[in-house]
Amino acid sequence: MAKFNVETVQNVEQSKKIPCCKPILEQLEIMEAYTDAHRRFSNSTRERREVECLKVLYPRMFRPIEPQDLFAGRLDFLPIGFGCVTSVGGVGHYCVFRKLRQFQEQLPDELKPRVDTLYDYWLDNDVKTQFNRDMIVDDTMGMFIDTAFPLIATARLSGMMLDYPKLVENGVPGMRRILEEHIAASPDNDFYKAGLECMDILCHSAEALRKDALNQMEGASTERKRQLASMADSLESIRKRAPETFVEALQLFWLYALLAGVINYGRLDDLLGPYLAADLKSGRLTESEAYDYIKSLWTMIENRRTTVNGRVIVGGKGRKHPEEADVFMHLALKVCKDCRYVEPQFTLRIDRTTTDRTWNEALDALGAGATYPTLYNDEVEVPAVAYGMRVDGKTAEWYVPFGCTEFVIQGQSTGTPNICINLLKLLTIYMNDGIDPIDGLKKDAGAVIKPLEEYGSFEDFYNGYKALLDIYLDKSAQAQYYSYEVMNRNVSFLFNSLLTDDCIERGKALLDGGVRYLGGTCEIYGSINTSDSLEAIRELVFQKRKYSLRQIHDAMLADFKGYDLLRRDCLACDKYGNDLDTADSLANDLYEFYATGVRDRGIKVGMQYFLVVISNNQLNTEWGNATAASPDGRLSGMYLNPANNPQGGANVSGPTAMLNSLARFDAKYHAGSVQNIKFSPALFNGNREIIKALFKTYFDRGGCHLMVTTVNRGELEDAMVHPEKYPDLIVRVSGFSAVFVELPRNVQEELLSRVLYD
Amino acid sequence: MTETVKVFDIERFAIKDGPGIRTVVFMQGCPLHCPWCSNPESAAVDGVLRYYEAKCLHCGACAAVCPESAVKFEDGLVRIDRSVCTLCGACVENCPGAALKIQAKRMKCRDVIDILLRDKDYYEHSGGGVTFSGGEALAQPDALLAMLKMCRDEGLHTAVETTANAPYDVLSAIEPYTDLFLIDLKHTDGGKLHEVTGANPELVFGNIRSLASTAARKIRLRMPCIPGFNVEREHFEKAFAFAVENGIKGLDLLPYHTLGTGKYKQLGRECLYARTEPLDRSELELYAGIGNSMGLDISIL
Repeated sequence: MAKFNVETVQNVEQSKKIPCCKPILEQLEIMEAYTDAHRRFSNSTRERREVECLKVLYPRMFRPIEPQDLFAGRLDFLPIGFGCVTSVGGVGHYCVFRKLRQFQEQLPDELKPRVDTLYDYWLDNDVKTQFNRDMIVDDTMGMFIDTAFPLIATARLSGMMLDYPKLVENGVPGMRRILEEHIAASPDNDFYKAGLECMDILCHSAEALRKDALNQMEGASTERKRQLASMADSLESIRKRAPETFVEALQLFWLYALLAGVINYGRLDDLLGPYLAADLKSGRLTESEAYDYIKSLWTMIENRRTTVNGRVIVGGKGRKHPEEADVFMHLALKVCKDCRYVEPQFTLRIDRTTTDRTWNEALDALGAGATYPTLYNDEVEVPAVAYGMRVDGKTAEWYVPFGCTEFVIQGQSTGTPNICINLLKLLTIYMNDGIDPIDGLKKDAGAVIKPLEEYGSFEDFYNGYKALLDIYLDKSAQAQYYSYEVMNRNVSFLFNSLLTDDCIERGKALLDGGVRYLGGTCEIYGSINTSDSLEAIRELVFQKRKYSLRQIHDAMLADFKGYDLLRRDCLACDKYGNDLDTADSLANDLYEFYATGVRDRGIKVGMQYFLVVISNNQLNTEWGNATAASPDGRLSGMYLNPANNPQGGANVSGPTAMLNSLARFDAKYHAGSVQNIKFSPALFNGNREIIKALFKTYFDRGGCHLMVTTVNRGELEDAMVHPEKYPDLIVRVSGFSAVFVELPRNVQEELLSRVLYD
Repeated sequence: MTETVKVFDIERFAIKDGPGIRTVVFMQGCPLHCPWCSNPESAAVDGVLRYYEAKCLHCGACAAVCPESAVKFEDGLVRIDRSVCTLCGACVENCPGAALKIQAKRMKCRDVIDILLRDKDYYEHSGGGVTFSGGEALAQPDALLAMLKMCRDEGLHTAVETTANAPYDVLSAIEPYTDLFLIDLKHTDGGKLHEVTGANPELVFGNIRSLASTAARKIRLRMPCIPGFNVEREHFEKAFAFAVENGIKGLDLLPYHTLGTGKYKQLGRECLYARTEPLDRSELELYAGIGNSMGLDISIL
């Protein structure tokens, strides 16, 4: 029997989804038609089956154009369908069983058995379930996001950012031509043939939307008529030729991204900037119209509600059209400040050449409480990516953060984080003879663990923990690689593959050997709690000899009840985040151990790269709720430290000290590490030059990245009591932004625990 | 000989005690007794036992270990007789609630400098540096001079925040190693100054005059604006005239705040300003305007 429940919640859905606009019976019929196509083509190639299934969905799943839309393309998702990620639909040929059951409940009784039929079919065919069935076999590895396990794994293709420059330069006819040439050379290659049909799907979708636009003109205001006519023209022209205007390029990019099921968008400044600059120059667009289009794009992205995704990146090294790209960037910075949406996750790459104007615009937006742009330092990231991913410097310049922060090379690599590890849970298991104190289950994964009395030195104790960690790191690399195998057996991710190097050249889908750089990422949780715990043990047990390991462990098992003095001593030990050599160097040592451990294993299993990403959505809180008390003084069930940041409240030495601690980790061993910092608006906005100097110094000394929240002291507390007063209060969680009052209370408490610089 | 210094805090990313991003070294001990002081724990030369009632678990562990019976646990309450407390720290070590604290600690000057250096690049980017404050920085003259010299060797911008209530020799000794003096001007009326703060007005005004005679450009006067004591037009006008007369360009007005009032209870003392409302900076704009019109550079902090 499977160790997992197929109806588990699969991902963080912080933002409320817009419900499907189709009548419920039609939804059922579409899912049945999809299932039917999947069944009928089960003996065909996966390319053929995929494209036949996609034809069921598109253009049918498009929603009507909304009155505020300036370009077209909104999609609905059903519990059964096709996708890359859990946030929009599901993975590959998917069935989200929990949502299918919810759907079933809305049906009249006589129709319910039809859903049961679907449910049973997909139990054997849902891609993710196939993965889970093979991998979730004991108490060590769980499925996303089951916090009872120290390691969780999934199959998904998250974070794809496609080679849109290739799309807009060639246009649909050019893409067809490329594929036809390859078909002429390899007539039996189904990847090319299915790829060509994807272009048909794109054109059919454009045509369906064009008709919708034309239909909506009737009775519309003069202004709206003009907008709809322009939309219809663009939808017409993108089928027939490569885009020539900003609006056409935007429309083509957007439609393709929707059909590909991707939820991160890449370097849009370099993609759209040249069209925008030309249109502004020729007078085809005014600056205010351009602003409106970008704002419409922001709204479209926000309305997809992908919570931890929606990345749009501007600035930085390697752009092919830096001057024109800057035109887009400056307008986007303004839109970002004015909108204050939780998505897109608007990202600014900076380097030493970033102008003061750009800095000021970015700080204006952050000071207004937008939580965007998130800042990435190319001077550090580019060489780090080159080393970490084993690519040359020019290639590394096309790194792009997706999701919470993890990187891919746009159009050239996969980087999906299909593994998460909770380091602190493993420490509590290690100290408890391999048994998780939370549930009493053995999770030692076969490691030999000595009784606590037998550790003669700190190194001895630490090495024992590393040995347990090694086993879990082995599992993580194997599971990541296996997720690609399972997905590849089932799907080609056609739309993704067509815009990913070198799929077309090789005639192969991306997971079938097509992608140039098969990479992946491994999310790390609780790393700072773990290193602070190790520091407390080093200090209290092995240096001061104030307590034995057993005493500390007894106190942990008692959740420190009756051990007030011992807990006080644990809390008083040096903590990461205060620029102290003790705690920081241990944190760095642990970091280098797990980060190089993951990287080496990825190379060994055959990936271009498999790198840690130290980020989190709100899983640090949820996983903390399922992790026992720890030697850093953290109580049982308390949130874990966010991303690479100190445990809330542990950093008491001001922002320079915290930033110095953050800058300590060498970025070349990770593919992204979230660095959050929180200021009061008075400090942030009243001392602009100081803040700028603070950030620039941090970046100069090797800081890779920053995510900034400005919020008033007391505002968060008040919002917990009077949520109705704060509908627009945006905060950075860790790797995503959210409306504070919509977060669960335990996550709100974690945010509140973090130090606010005032 | 290794010079040591008694400090009660080192604050990084300080942005109000001199230009740019700074680290402030708060040195223990102060000869004055300004009743509005926001750092009353800094007054005693050796430090003082601080008690945070809100953190107290009322377990009595402190009293049980106090060798002098300075800490007593009676009727579930902790009572401290600071006159017999020797600051041995036994109670602090044994308090499970971390409710007791002796903030002052003796450090090697070199160790202080090492902390200061950790943010050197932030100072350089922001035009900042380090500030020695107190307590009264001049109350530990040898340590101060030693640290200032080390800062000079390390290329750090230095500021000294002081009441100037010390022998002039001390001031003149540190002057070559000090880039900026932030000197308190608490009252221009010598009688009131002495009566309320215990300062020696002749010494303070004389020191400022003497220092200004050679180094006026290094001086910024700081005027704590305390309701009921010195927020009067006459005082400001006299202070501004005093600045002009001595060639001092810059003055900071520091509106009274209440951030330190809670500390008095922790020290077993009564705060005479417990009921005084914080002063809104807008109330000082009139006076700042007067100063600016006299050609001075006035900031309200």
